Amino acid sequence: MPTTKVESIKKSIMNKIQKAEDVVFKENFTKEKYLETYYIKSISDEQVLGKYVLKPFFEIQGAELFLDYLQSHPKISTFKTEAQTVESLLRGEAVLFYQDYIFLFDCKVDRNNAVQDTTVETTIQGPQSGFSESLPTNLGLIRHRYPEATLKVESSQVGAISKTKVMLLYDTRFADMDTLGRIKEFLANVKINMFQTGEQLLDSIKKSNRSLFPVMLVTERPDRVAINLSTGKIILLIHGSPFAVVLPTSMKDFMASMADIYQTYWVGRFLQTLRYIGLFVSIVLPGLYVATTSYNPEIYRVQLALSIAGSRNLVPYPSFVEVLLMLFMMEMLTEASIRLPKAIGPTATTVGGLILGQAATEAGLVSNIMIIIVSTVAISNFVVPINAFSFSVRIVKYIVLGLATVFGLVGVGIGFLLFIAYMVKLDSFGQPFLTLIQTKPNKK
Amino acid sequence: MNRYFFYLILTNMLINVIIFVPKILIEYRYEGAVMGMLIAIPIGFTLACLYSKAITKFPGQGLPEIADKFFKHRWLTILHFGSIQLAVFSAGLITLVGFIDVLTRFINPEMPRLLLLSIYLIAIIFIIQLPTERVMYILEIVLFMNTPLIGFIVFKAFTSDYISWDSILEVGTHLFDRPSLKAIAAASYVFSGYANLVIFNRVIKEKLKVWNFVIIFFMGIFNLFTTFFIPIGFHGSDGAQEYLYPWISTSDSLRLVYSPIERVIFIFLLFYMSITLMSISIHWHSAFELFKGTFRKKENKKMKWIVLSAYSGCAVIAVMFLETILLNQITVYWMIARLGVEVVIVISFSLWARRQLA
Amino acid sequence: MKSAVNWSVAAIIVIGSLLLTGCGFKDIDKRLFVVSIGVDLAKNSSKKYDVHLKLAVPSGSKQQPNEFTIVSEQADSMSDAVRIIKTKVDKEIDFSHAKMILIGEELAKQKGNAGIYYWLARRRDIQLIAWVVVAKPTALDVLKVKPKSEQIPSNSLFLAMGKDGSETPYILPDFLFDFKMRLIERGLDPMLPIVEAKKELFEIKTTSLFNKNHMKLTLNPEETKALNFLLNKEQKSAIWARKGKTRFFIDTQKIRSKYKIYTPKGKPPYIKFDIKIKGIVEETSRKIPNTRLAKYEKEVEKETNKFVKNVLVKIQKSGIDPIGFGLRYRSRHFNENDWEEWQKIYPKIVFKVDTKVKITDTGLIE
Repeated sequence: MPTTKVESIKKSIMNKIQKAEDVVFKENFTKEKYLETYYIKSISDEQVLGKYVLKPFFEIQGAELFLDYLQSHPKISTFKTEAQTVESLLRGEAVLFYQDYIFLFDCKVDRNNAVQDTTVETTIQGPQSGFSESLPTNLGLIRHRYPEATLKVESSQVGAISKTKVMLLYDTRFADMDTLGRIKEFLANVKINMFQTGEQLLDSIKKSNRSLFPVMLVTERPDRVAINLSTGKIILLIHGSPFAVVLPTSMKDFMASMADIYQTYWVGRFLQTLRYIGLFVSIVLPGLYVATTSYNPEIYRVQLALSIAGSRNLVPYPSFVEVLLMLFMMEMLTEASIRLPKAIGPTATTVGGLILGQAATEAGLVSNIMIIIVSTVAISNFVVPINAFSFSVRIVKYIVLGLATVFGLVGVGIGFLLFIAYMVKLDSFGQPFLTLIQTKPNKK
Repeated sequence: MNRYFFYLILTNMLINVIIFVPKILIEYRYEGAVMGMLIAIPIGFTLACLYSKAITKFPGQGLPEIADKFFKHRWLTILHFGSIQLAVFSAGLITLVGFIDVLTRFINPEMPRLLLLSIYLIAIIFIIQLPTERVMYILEIVLFMNTPLIGFIVFKAFTSDYISWDSILEVGTHLFDRPSLKAIAAASYVFSGYANLVIFNRVIKEKLKVWNFVIIFFMGIFNLFTTFFIPIGFHGSDGAQEYLYPWISTSDSLRLVYSPIERVIFIFLLFYMSITLMSISIHWHSAFELFKGTFRKKENKKMKWIVLSAYSGCAVIAVMFLETILLNQITVYWMIARLGVEVVIVISFSLWARRQLA
Repeated sequence: MKSAVNWSVAAIIVIGSLLLTGCGFKDIDKRLFVVSIGVDLAKNSSKKYDVHLKLAVPSGSKQQPNEFTIVSEQADSMSDAVRIIKTKVDKEIDFSHAKMILIGEELAKQKGNAGIYYWLARRRDIQLIAWVVVAKPTALDVLKVKPKSEQIPSNSLFLAMGKDGSETPYILPDFLFDFKMRLIERGLDPMLPIVEAKKELFEIKTTSLFNKNHMKLTLNPEETKALNFLLNKEQKSAIWARKGKTRFFIDTQKIRSKYKIYTPKGKPPYIKFDIKIKGIVEETSRKIPNTRLAKYEKEVEKETNKFVKNVLVKIQKSGIDPIGFGLRYRSRHFNENDWEEWQKIYPKIVFKVDTKVKITDTGLIE
C-alpha cells in the first residue's frame, strides 16, 4: 500500500470526525518504528491500548517483528473501508497507522456490564439475576446457560442514527426457518432513528401500528431466554438494553412465569390456573357487574340481589357510571404508584385504596359491592406475570364494560368471545397468537 | 388433526337445541318421532361417512381448491357451489334468528331484536373473514371452555329427582308408530355437521380413522336421545310439547343448590351464546369461502363487502319478519329440503370422487 | 385517509348504540323484587281473585334485617292484577326472584283456575323452579307471617322447601314445572304441600292432592309421611310401632320402595309394593333386648303394611293418582288405548304391600 494513500485516508478520516476534547491523535517513535494512534478516549480503554499496543511497541525491537505482532493479535483487524473505519472509531476502536498499514484495535470500554437483579419479573425461587446493559456480557450469560454447538448468533444493526447493534440468537435445530426469514425481513425494514431497547419494536411490528396486544415478549431474565431458545424461539439482544426480545410469542408465554418450572408440578399447574382465572376475572368482572345489576338481577341469589340493591340505594348514578368512576380512581392509583419514589409508594396506595374507598362508600358515591369488585379487578390484573400484556388487558376490560352497558349479558359473552377471536387473529411472525393446543414449530 | 372433524360434528350436535330439533321431534312424539329417530341415525350417519370419506381423499383441500383442479364445467360448479352455499347459509341464518329470539325472550326482553342482532353480526363478520385455520382455532377454544360445563348440566338433568322415567318410557312405547318424514329430517340434522367439511377440509391433513366414525355414531345416538327425552322427562309426555323451547325451559327446571348461579338457565344460555356464535360463524364462513371460490379470478375488496352486507341484510330482514312460530314452521320444511339436498350432493360427490381417484 | 373513514364509522356505531341504551337498562335499586306470589279468592267483591305480591324492601345497612311489604289487588285475572299493582309502587316490579307461589286453600278447591297456573309458566321471568304450595287459611295470612329467625323475606319458606335447612318427611315440595307437568300428564296427578300460618311460625306437615283441576283430598301428617315412603323422597324419617305393651320408635336411615303393576288374566289386577326400611331404635317405653330384634322387626312390618295400604286405598277411592300408577301402566303397554284401559282398571285395583324392616341396633345403649 503506497504511503500517499494511507496519508490521504488519514486525512479524510480526521476530517470526518469533528474535533473534540476526547478525540486523541498521538504519534509514537522508537529508533526504527513510527506508530500513529487515533481514538476517542471517552469510549476507548487507554489502559488496554497501552498494554497491548504501546508496551509491545517499545519492547519489540524489529520493525518487521512488531508488524507480525499486530497482524497476529486477535483484537486487531485490518482496514477494510473508510466508512467502516469511521464507524468503528465512533464505537470506541482505535485506529493504528503503522508503516503502510492501517489497523483497527478493539479497545472499547465495556461500561454497564454489571449484571442486574431482576426487578420486573421477580420470582421467589430460581435465578435472581437478570441481564446487564452490555451486549457481550448478555451474550455470555446466555451462552453460559445454553452451551450448545447449534446456537447461532447473527449480528445486524437497527436505527438510522443510533446504529444499535442487535444480535439474533437461535438454535438451528429447533428454530423455524420461515419465521426466521420473516423476522430478518422485519428487522431490515424497521425504520427507527434512535433504537434503544427492544420494547420499541412492539409498535412497529404491525403495519397499522395499532395492535392492542404485544406480540413479542420482552424479558429481563436469562433463564427465560435459555428456555425459549430450547423451544425454538428466536432471541433478539439489543446493545445497551437489559431486556431481550423473544420471538415469536404466543399468549401462553405471557401467562407463564419462570416460577412455574421452579415449583413442583401441581403447584406450578395451580399457579397457572390461578393466573388464567385472574385474567378472566379482570376482563369480565366490571362488565358482568353492570350487566347483572342493570339487566339481569335474576342471576344472583335472592340474598345477594337484596344486599346489592340495598347498598346501591343511596347511589345516585347508574351502575356503569359507578363502575367507571371507581375504575378511573384505580387506574390513577396504579399510575401514581409507579411514578412515586419507592419510599412513598405504599403510603399512596394506603391513602388511595383504603381511605378513598371507605369514604366513597360512606358518601354514597359508590356501593360496597363496587369496592370489592374494583379491588378484585385491580389485584387480579397484576396476577398476569408479564407487564406489557397486563397493560393491554387493562384496556380490554373497558371494551367489555362498554358492550355490557349497551347489550347486557349478551355483551359480556360476545365481548369476551371477540377478545378471544382477536387474539387468535393476531399473529406473531406467522405463528397464531392464541391457540388451545400450541403446535411446536418444528414438530415435523 | 382428526379432532377438527370431531369438532365440526359436535358443534352441530350441540346447536340442535336452538334450531328447533327437539321441538319438532317432541311435537311428533306420538306420531312416529321415535321410529323416525331410529331411521334417521343410519341415514345421517351414512351420509356423514360417505361425504367425509370422499372429501378427505383430497387432504388439505377445500371444495374450491378441488374444483379448480378437477371440475370442467363452469355452470356445474356454480350450481354445485350455489346449492351447498344456500344450505349452509340458511342453516346459519335459522340458528341466528332462533337464538336472537331466545335471547330477547329469556335474557333481554325489552331490548329491540335488531340491536341484539347487530352485536352478533359484528362478531360474525369479524370471525368469518379470518383464515379457515384460525376459525377452527377459535372453535376449539370455545368448545373447550363450554362443552364440559354443558356436559355437567346434562349430567345434572339425568340425575335429577324430578325427571320422570315413566314419561320417557311412555313415549318409548310409541316406537312402532309409522315414522314421520319431518321427524326423520329433524333428527338427521345432528349428524350433518360434516357439511362444513366443504371448506374445513383445508385443515384436515390426514385420513380419518375408523374410531372417529365410531365415536361420532355413539355420540349422535346419545345426543339425539338426550335432546328428545330429557325435556319429556321433565315436562311429561303430554306436557312437553307445550313449551316453545323445550330445552331452555328444561334448563330452567334445574336447580344448582350450591353453585353461585342458582338458575341453570342463565349458565346454559351464557354457554350457548358463544357456541351459537361459533356455529353460525362456521356455517357462514363456509358459505363465504365458497362464494369466493366461485369467482376466484376476480376477487376484490368491494365484492367482499357486498357479500358481507348481503348476509347482514338477509339476517336483518329475517329477524324483522320471522316470528317464532313462522320460523318454526319454516324450519320444519327447511329440514326436509336440507335432507334432500344433502342426499343428492353426497351421493353424486362421493361417486364422482371414487371415479376420479380410482 | 382510510383510517379516518374507519374511525368515523366506528364512532357512528358507538354513538348510535349509546343512544339506544336504556332499552331494558334498569338498575337493581330501581327494581322491586317479588319474593312470593299469593293468590286467594276475592271476598265481598265482584272480582274473582285477590292477588298479593310480597315485595322485599332491601335495607341499606347490615344491622337491620330486610323488610317487606305486601301489595294486594283484586281482579279477574292475574295479568290485570299485576298491571294495577304496578301503578301502586314506585319501582319496576321484578318477578325474577319469585321463588314461592302460594295458592289459597279455597281457591285450590275451586274448579276452573287453570288460567292462573298457566300464567305462571307462561311468563318468562317467573322461575320454573319456584315452589308451589297451598296456603291455609289464606295466602295473605301465610305471606304476613314473619318468623324471628328470618333475615330475608320468605327465606324461611325457601329453606323449608329447598331442604337446605330442615329435613323432614312431612314436606313434599313441588316445583312449578313439575306441578304444571302433573296437571297435564295423564296418569300422574299434582300434589302440593300445605303451609299453615300460625302466629309467628309456619306449619308444613300436610299434603293436598289434586285431580286435573282442583284440590280433592288432604292427607294428614302420618299419611303424608307414608306417601313420602312410597315416593322415595326423604330417607330420614320415623315410624312408631307397638308390640305388646312396648311402644317403640324407629329412626330410619334408609327407605326404598318400588312397585309393580300386575294384570293377570282372569284374576283381578293388583299393585305390589316392596318397601325396604333400615333404621335404629331411638326410643322405647320398655327395654328391647338385642337378641329379639327380629320379632320387633316383624311387628313394624305388619304395622307399616296396614298403614301404607290404608293410605293407598284412600287415595284410590278419591280417584286420583299422585304416585303415577297410570303413567307406569301407560309406559309398560304398547297399545294406543292404554290410558282408557287404565281408567277402567284403577278403581278396582288391589294393593299388596310387602315391607322388609331391618333394625340395625338400638342406638348407643341396649
